[in-house]
Amino acid sequence: MTQLFRNSLPQEKVTSAPLLPVPLSFERNWLHDLESRLDKGGPWGDWRLSRLAVQGEQSGLVTSFDELQCMKHLSGLSPLPHQLDTAHKVLFEMSGRAILADEVGLGKTIEAGLVLKEYLVRGLVSKVLILVPASLVLQWVRELNTKFGISAVAQKKAYSWGNDIVVASMDTAKRDPHKEMLLSQEYDMLIIDEAHKLKNKKSTNYLFVQQLRKKYCLLLTATPVQNDLGELFNLITLLKPGQLGNQGDFATNFVVDKRQPKNEGKLRGELSKVMIRNRRGEGPVNFTKRKVRNIPLTLSAEEKALYDGVTAFVKEQYQEAGGNLSSMLSLVTLQREVCSSRDAVFVTLVNLIKKLPADSPKRERMMGLLQTIRTVKTNTKAEKTMELIREMNEKVIVFTEYRATQEYLLQYFREHGLQCVTYSGGMNRGKKDWMMDLFRGRAQVMIATEAGGEGINLQFCHHMINFDLPWNPMRVEQRIGRVHRLGQENDVVIYNLSTEGTIEEHILHLLHEKINMFEMVIGGLDVILERFEQKGSLEKSLYKIVLEAGSDEELRSGLDTIGDSLSELTHAKLDDSGVPK
Amino acid sequence: MLTPTEVRKQVMDYLEATECTILESSPLHVTVKLSPRADRMLTDRPYYWGFVERTGVDPETLSFSFVFDPQKYDELAAQAAAPAARPRGGASRPAGAGAPPGLAGAADAEAAAEPLGAAQAPGAALPPGVSAAPEDSILARYFGIVPALPRLGPGMIRREDVTYGSKRLRQIWSAARDEGRCLQLFEDPGLRQRTTLFSAAYEPWLAVCYKVEMTCDLKREELHFIAVSLTSGLIVPDFEARLAGKELTPRLPENIHVQPFELGITDGANRLEGYLTSKLALLDYTWAEEARERLGLELSIVDIYYAELLKEPEEEKRLAILEQYNRRRQETSWQYEPQIAVSAVTYGLFHLRST
Repeated sequence: MTQLFRNSLPQEKVTSAPLLPVPLSFERNWLHDLESRLDKGGPWGDWRLSRLAVQGEQSGLVTSFDELQCMKHLSGLSPLPHQLDTAHKVLFEMSGRAILADEVGLGKTIEAGLVLKEYLVRGLVSKVLILVPASLVLQWVRELNTKFGISAVAQKKAYSWGNDIVVASMDTAKRDPHKEMLLSQEYDMLIIDEAHKLKNKKSTNYLFVQQLRKKYCLLLTATPVQNDLGELFNLITLLKPGQLGNQGDFATNFVVDKRQPKNEGKLRGELSKVMIRNRRGEGPVNFTKRKVRNIPLTLSAEEKALYDGVTAFVKEQYQEAGGNLSSMLSLVTLQREVCSSRDAVFVTLVNLIKKLPADSPKRERMMGLLQTIRTVKTNTKAEKTMELIREMNEKVIVFTEYRATQEYLLQYFREHGLQCVTYSGGMNRGKKDWMMDLFRGRAQVMIATEAGGEGINLQFCHHMINFDLPWNPMRVEQRIGRVHRLGQENDVVIYNLSTEGTIEEHILHLLHEKINMFEMVIGGLDVILERFEQKGSLEKSLYKIVLEAGSDEELRSGLDTIGDSLSELTHAKLDDSGVPK
Repeated sequence: MLTPTEVRKQVMDYLEATECTILESSPLHVTVKLSPRADRMLTDRPYYWGFVERTGVDPETLSFSFVFDPQKYDELAAQAAAPAARPRGGASRPAGAGAPPGLAGAADAEAAAEPLGAAQAPGAALPPGVSAAPEDSILARYFGIVPALPRLGPGMIRREDVTYGSKRLRQIWSAARDEGRCLQLFEDPGLRQRTTLFSAAYEPWLAVCYKVEMTCDLKREELHFIAVSLTSGLIVPDFEARLAGKELTPRLPENIHVQPFELGITDGANRLEGYLTSKLALLDYTWAEEARERLGLELSIVDIYYAELLKEPEEEKRLAILEQYNRRRQETSWQYEPQIAVSAVTYGLFHLRST
C-alpha cells in the first residue's frame, strides 16, 4: 500500500515517548497542510475520495506480524509450495538476510521476487538494488514487472540510479563513478544474483558489496560451494559477519581439509540459519522426463577420407612437437570440427595456414587437406538433422560448437524452407532478446552456438539436437538446462548425433554411458566435476588421450579410465546442504 | 483481499466521484471515458496536459475498459464469439484464402455486430492486452519493460484487468488519497433548517485517520480514525461510527452557525496524539521484546567476530575494520530495532450538529 514512512539508518537516538516501551514518532506535516488550507480557504478534498483512500489503506493493512501478505497482491502468479516455504522462512526465520541456493531451475528468481514483494507490501522496503550479470538485467526487470507488478527499471544512465528499484549489472555498479554514488546510498534491500562470484573475499566484487549499506539482503546462487569450504565461509560472512565465527574457529570446527567438512550435522545446522537449498528430485517439484536418442551416422566416403586425413595430420604434428600439449589445442579443435562440418574445418585450417611462414613444409600438407575438403559435397549430419526436424514438426533448438557450422546450417535450413534464427555469444543483449522472441513466435528452429549459461529460458520448446558435443559435461548440462527446467510441460527429447568410427562416438559413450549425464536429473554434476578436476581439467585430459592414443583400442581404454573415475564420483552421493561429503 | 465485486465498487466510486462518463457497465467490467480530472491523475501524460494548459485546446481524455473478473469476462466473450467463428471453421480453410467472398463477409459482419466478441477474437491466441504488449516493442527490448502506453485517438479503448493487487487499483487509491486527504465538511441538515427560524449550532471536530506502523524486522499496522471536539475537548475514538448515517456537504448550509473554537488546531492535534499514545500503551509489546532479543543476539555475534579482527596490529587496517564493524552494527540496529511511526492518511474539520 501507499508508503507513508520509511525508516532509515538510525543516525542518532530518537526521543522516545515515556509511556511506551518502544520509540514512537508522529508525522505532523498534515497539521501544516490543514492550517495553510484554513488560511487560504481551501481547496478541500472530496469526501467520497477520502473514504475511498481509507478503504484502500484498510484493505492493504498488514494486520499480522507473521503471515505472508504478498499472495493477496499477486493475481497472475501461482508459486510452487517450496517457493512459498522459502519466502516464509526468509521473512520469519531469517529476518530477511539469506542465501537462496536452490539448484538450477527451481525458481530462485521467483523466491526472491516473493520476498521482495512481501517487504514492499509491508512497507518495510522501498529502496532496492538488484545486482545481476549483464545478460540477466532485462530478464529480471521483465519478471519483476510482469509477474510481481514491481516497477523495477534497468540501469541505463546515471540518473537511473535515482529510481526506487533498480536492476543493474555488477560490473557497472562496482566501477566509478557509479560505485561512489551507490556507496553513499542506503538500501532497504540488496539482491545479488549469481552470488558465487562473491566467493573470493579479496575481489573487488566482494569488497564493494561489503561496503554497500543494506538492511535486508538476498544472495542467489546455485553453487554455494565450488572449490572449498572457505568460499562458503566468505559468502556467509558477507551476509552476516560472525555467523560462522572467525575464519580460525570455522576452520577448527568444521573443516578437515578444504573440501571435507567435519561435524557435519552441526555445520548443516549453522548453514540452515542463513541458507536455503531446495534440490531437484525432492518434494513435490516434478520435472518432466529427459528422453535421449543417440543417432549413429555413417560418414560418406569423402567425409571419411577428410576425417582420416585430418586425424593423421594432427597425430603427426603432435609427435613432431614432442608431446607439447599447449601448442596442440588448435589441432585438436581441428579434429573435433571435422566431425561437425567441412565449413568449420575450412575456416580453422585457413587461419592456421595464414600463421605459418611461407616456406614451412607443413604448408603443403595443409593445402592438401584443403583440397580434400573440396571433394566433400554433402553433410551427412545436416541431412539427418533436416530429416529429424521434418519428422517432429515442432520447435527445436540445434546446438553446435562452431560458428562456421552455425552459418552453414542456417543457409542449409533456409534453402530447405525452414524458418530459423541463430543465437550466439557475440550478440548484444538486445539482439539476443530479439532472437528469442522470434524463436518463440515465428521460427521453428534456433541454431545456437552457446547455451548462454545464464538466462535463456526456452520452456516452450522440448526438442533439442546436439549437432556436435562439447567435451565439457557442464556445458552439455547447460544446453539441456535451457529447455529442461521449471515450466517445461513436456518430456524433453535430446538427440545426439554421432558419426561412427570417429572420436565423437567415444565422447558420446563417455558422457552417456559412463556418467549418464543426459538423464541425470539429480543435480550435483558441478560438484563431481570440481572434484575430478582437482587433478587437472577434464577437457585437457581428454585432449591428451586423443592425441597420444596409437590405436582405437588405446583410445577406448584411456577414455574408459576417465569414465570410471567420473562414475565413481557420481556414486559417491552428495548430502543435502550442498556440502560435499 | 478484495473480491472482484468489491474492487468494482471501489473503482466505480472513484469514477463517479471524479465525474467520468460511464459508457458501458456490467458486473464484470466498465467502459469509461475519463474526466479531465481523472485523466490527469491516472494516465501519466504530464506533457499532454502541459500542452492543453498552454494552448487552451479542448482536452481529449482517454477511454478504458476496466475488467474486474477477467476469467469470467473472457468466458462470456468467448461464448459470444463462438457463433461468429463457426462459419469460418465450416469452410475448413483459412479465412479469406479462396473462401467464397459472401461467406467470409457474412462472418465478419456477424463478428462486427457483436462488439464484445469482435474485440476479443484476437485475444484468444495472445494473453490479454497488457501482458502481450511489453514483450513486443523495441523499447521494451532496450529497457526490459516499458509502461504500456495508451493508444491514442478517438474510439481507441484499451482493455485493462483491474484486480486486487493490480497497479491500476493502487494508483486509483493513491489518486483518491491525493484528492481526498484534507477535508472541511458540514453535516447536511436537509429540509429541517429551511423551515425553522432558529439557526442551528454546529460543533467543530478535528478528525484524523491515523496509520500506526509497528516496525522491527517485521511489521504490523493499525488504522485509527479519531476526532476531538474543538469546543469541548471530548475525544471520540471511532469517529466513523459517529458519522454513519449523516449526509456531509462541503458547502456551509443555510441557517446554521459554527460554535467558536475553544481549542486551536494544534491543541487538538496534541490531544489526539496524547490519546492515541495512551491507547497504544495498552497493546502487547512481546513483539518488541522479541525483536530486541534478536537484535541483542545478532549484535553479540557481530561483537565477538570483530573483537578478534580488531586485534589487528597495523593501524591502517585496524581503522578499516573498525569502520566496517560500526557499519555492520548500525545495519543490524536498523534491521531489528523496534519502533512505532504514526502518520495521517486523511484529516480535516467536520462540523456536526450539536447534540
